Amino acid sequence: MIEVKNVKKNYGRKQVLKGLSFTAEKGEITCLIGVNGVGKTTIMKAIMALTPINSGEILIDGEKIRKESFEKITFIPDTITMLPQMKICEAFAFMADFYKNWNFQRAEELLQFFKLDPTERIANLSKGNTAKVNMLLGLALDADYLLMDEPFSGIDIFSREQITEVFTSHLIEERGVIITTHEISDIEHLIDKAVLIDNGEVIKEFSVEEMRENEGKSVVDIMWEVYQR
Amino acid sequence: MTVKFNNRDPVYVQVIRHFKEQIAKGYFEPGQETPSRRELANQLKINPNTAQRAYKEMEEQGLIFTEGNMPSCITKDEAVLKSVREELIMEAVDLFLGSIQSINVPLEEVLELVKKKHEVKSGEAEDSK
Repeated sequence: MIEVKNVKKNYGRKQVLKGLSFTAEKGEITCLIGVNGVGKTTIMKAIMALTPINSGEILIDGEKIRKESFEKITFIPDTITMLPQMKICEAFAFMADFYKNWNFQRAEELLQFFKLDPTERIANLSKGNTAKVNMLLGLALDADYLLMDEPFSGIDIFSREQITEVFTSHLIEERGVIITTHEISDIEHLIDKAVLIDNGEVIKEFSVEEMRENEGKSVVDIMWEVYQR
Repeated sequence: MTVKFNNRDPVYVQVIRHFKEQIAKGYFEPGQETPSRRELANQLKINPNTAQRAYKEMEEQGLIFTEGNMPSCITKDEAVLKSVREELIMEAVDLFLGSIQSINVPLEEVLELVKKKHEVKSGEAEDSK
């Protein structure tokens, strides 16, 4: 379980996270929802210790993040971090050098799944294919937790379908996933839990299936209720 | 197998309904193996936890059964199979009656129309074969 407890974060004088708390379970897909600029990416960076927090606590399976944690948790940012002149297969070698938990077999499987050519240079890939390679590099790690920042932004509907397919397959199963998005309607029935964020705070955290069962409301319905106030 | 899910009813309930329809249509035969939890999630593009929940509920309702470590199968219990069909028919009839009552049409007129429409529709279905 990832626990984010009362996290506060300032960029200069501007407070972007105002005592934000939520939890994400292993084996579940947790979706952070909010319009642009509410602090979704900052939360992910804070979980990965890529940015310092001013106060609060973040625990991964009850422990604070340390060097070894990076074999257990991985972050897929919204832009690829590999050097553009690298070929896909070279990026694989790079990952294998850096991570003990790089799963070469899974990487190969994903290449086929996404129909990508390993000899292609990253710089020459289309936007959609770049996004797929980016996702592949994260998914091929044997990590317990995956953080994905806007995996669907700027991607056509066919590629989007492929990516949603990943979410229902063994590639994700049993792992804990946190994704951020502002386009929830496509993936509503894929996620377990929704965390609505506004202005650096969690305004609602709920199980989507329970919400449908008890109140007959979709995530989008709740968003209307919450954000129109 | 694709199913269009709505976002307001629990997905597991919609999955169970889908299974019931398939059983009523005879697409799923008694004793037939059902896809594994993972396969189902992948086919219907749903969360594996939801697929699990649907199977658990269907097991409790006696729609499917599991023996030991074997894959789950559609029930062979005639009574259950019959009740599934009846349940779906009754639901459709109730829904129909609800919308007919609100416009105050006499029963005879409606029945005549239903009969005619049904003949046309099944005729079309025959032609397209």
